[in-house]
Amino acid sequence: MPKEFSMTAHGLMGGQYRPLSPEQISIIHDAALTLLEKTGFTYESGLDAVLDMLASAGMTVDRGAGRIYFPRDIVTALVEKSPTRVILYGRSRENDLVLEEDRVYLGTGGAAIKVLDLDSGELRSSTLKDLYEMGRLVDRLQNVHFYLRPCIPKDIPKEIYDENVFYACFKATGKHIMAGVNDEAGFETMLDMGATVAGGRNAFLERPFASIITSFAISPLKLCTQSTNIMMAAVRQSIPVALSCAPMAGSTSPITLAGTLVQTHAEQLAGIALSQIANPGAPVLYGGIPGMANLMNLGYLGGAVECGMMNAAVHQLSRHIAVPNYNSSGLSESKIPDAQAGWEKGMSTLLVAMGGSNYVHHAAGMLDSMLAVSYEQLVIDDEIIGMSNRVLHGIDVSAAHLAVDIINDVGPGGTFIKSPHTRQHMRTEFYRTNGVTDRKKYQRWVGAGAPDAWARARTIARSILEQDEAPYLSETVDAALRKAYDIRL
Amino acid sequence: MEIYQSIAKSLADGDAETVLQLVKTAVDEGAHAKTILDQGLMGGMEIIGGMMEREEILIPEVLGAAEIMENAIETILKPHLVGEDMKPFGKVVFATVKGDIHDIGKNLVIMMLESAGFDVVDMGVDVAPEAIVAEIKNQAPRLLCLSALLTTTMPMVKTTIDAVKESGLREQVKVLIGGAPLDEAFAEEAGADGYALDASTATKEAKRLVEAGA
Repeated sequence: MPKEFSMTAHGLMGGQYRPLSPEQISIIHDAALTLLEKTGFTYESGLDAVLDMLASAGMTVDRGAGRIYFPRDIVTALVEKSPTRVILYGRSRENDLVLEEDRVYLGTGGAAIKVLDLDSGELRSSTLKDLYEMGRLVDRLQNVHFYLRPCIPKDIPKEIYDENVFYACFKATGKHIMAGVNDEAGFETMLDMGATVAGGRNAFLERPFASIITSFAISPLKLCTQSTNIMMAAVRQSIPVALSCAPMAGSTSPITLAGTLVQTHAEQLAGIALSQIANPGAPVLYGGIPGMANLMNLGYLGGAVECGMMNAAVHQLSRHIAVPNYNSSGLSESKIPDAQAGWEKGMSTLLVAMGGSNYVHHAAGMLDSMLAVSYEQLVIDDEIIGMSNRVLHGIDVSAAHLAVDIINDVGPGGTFIKSPHTRQHMRTEFYRTNGVTDRKKYQRWVGAGAPDAWARARTIARSILEQDEAPYLSETVDAALRKAYDIRL
Repeated sequence: MEIYQSIAKSLADGDAETVLQLVKTAVDEGAHAKTILDQGLMGGMEIIGGMMEREEILIPEVLGAAEIMENAIETILKPHLVGEDMKPFGKVVFATVKGDIHDIGKNLVIMMLESAGFDVVDMGVDVAPEAIVAEIKNQAPRLLCLSALLTTTMPMVKTTIDAVKESGLREQVKVLIGGAPLDEAFAEEAGADGYALDASTATKEAKRLVEAGA
């Protein structure tokens, strides 16, 4: 345990909440292997090279029936080649994320198409500028550990989307960047831009400060051609890749929690096995994100408390096969940063952090079932993540914290307010709000204009965005990127 | 002039060593002890009052600064001061009303008042109206401060003020009240002259009342 809780703490150990018993983990793991053996995967067209590779690794490929069957021993042996620890680098070392065991990092993520405008409070299309400004905000919010692009720049043509996304993110923050790419060319674009920023391809490959997500599986149990090809490209370069699959209980996976976990785990085992055939030892993240379908309209349901439970459980499954995981917390069906957003996010983020999940995206900014993102919500979620981190830090019972001598010195009937021990520990023992939590006396709160959490968060977001831009790209690098690409920021 | 500001700033920073060193230097250089006290130390506590209002400082740090100030007075300034220099704002009688035994808020306000230059007579907690009336007769304070934390002891604030009125002493003393459940409206209803929201406003309000009453 670290000596004192630090407000910049990250990578703290979770694992205090374990929804599955060791026996239940074995049951699910075994069922997933059986599923791969008996039911297998299907696939989209255009994956011939991948099918050949799978077949030569010992999988049974039935091209007539369009099925791939995965013998359990082969899958198990391949999964063992996958690294137990994956480092996602920041531009500087203090932002490095060491994903292993029950070490917890939380940050942004998603592909929202709407943003709650910071000035008007109205919902509008998200833009490249939003992506940049939110990156700047995240850069300065100390509890958000990485910047996975939270929204899609709707004002940018799809053909030049990848280069603009990475440009905006690289310029905005020194934290680790993650994004999806449109195609293999998009992945090459990221590599090239990363190399320009890092001062050479080798420098970037040595400390890749950006990584990618690929939704290789279309649940249930189907390989997606484009995403699988992107996965192959990343794996060959040993750029970390999150193998995302997000089945929704009730529509793309069984309605039951255990059934959804079995299917998620099976999809992950297949994806990890495939990655290790392509390049044994390549860094991948177990990317199972068990979710739920909203059976009133078949949309995504992220704020359900069961999503928190399942995402904690899925980390246990990833831990069982010793592959660091990527999952989700902090989703909400609420449209605005209100009380519902607070309770849904508070519960799932705390559960998923206490579960020990390694790389938790969606944890900051999201609203409206992943469709919208909000500046103010980023500030509020920074607070939720900070408080969750405090929980992970636990209770220090060293002599200095047990304070028996201090109690003796103060004596029965005395006061601790004046004790130097109080002054020594008061700024580290308790989580200190980023300013969004109101703890004023009533009259002072009224005097400040009686701001609710949304309004308080707006003030903080604005004051951060008014600070110097301090871009993370030098003028030379900026010019080189603008020369090579059609940058619209 | 500059050294007083440095003393004030160091006190606000809670830097005991520098405060003591600067106060000693000022005395050695022939500065008036009263000026050192007023502009240096009390000036520092005034800065702290502002920090409290802006929520930039925690109470244990405020108390730490008050302790530094007291230490500077006791060890360096005292021989150079007369009683009146130390407490220019005069006497205050302070009590938590009858039926209420809470004293954390009262003690904090007393500390703030003392370090702002008031001479505070602390009557403690659960103090009956008759005892308060008697103390006003004895001490002839310029200000009476009453504290109540419980909603059930709020009426006792008014009862106490009424007792002071009946004794004929009400015109001689200003009354300032405070405590978690109280507010401006209650202060008016109870016949007090002022209400303090918290410890930082209490000092300001106390000075305002005393100056208005002089």
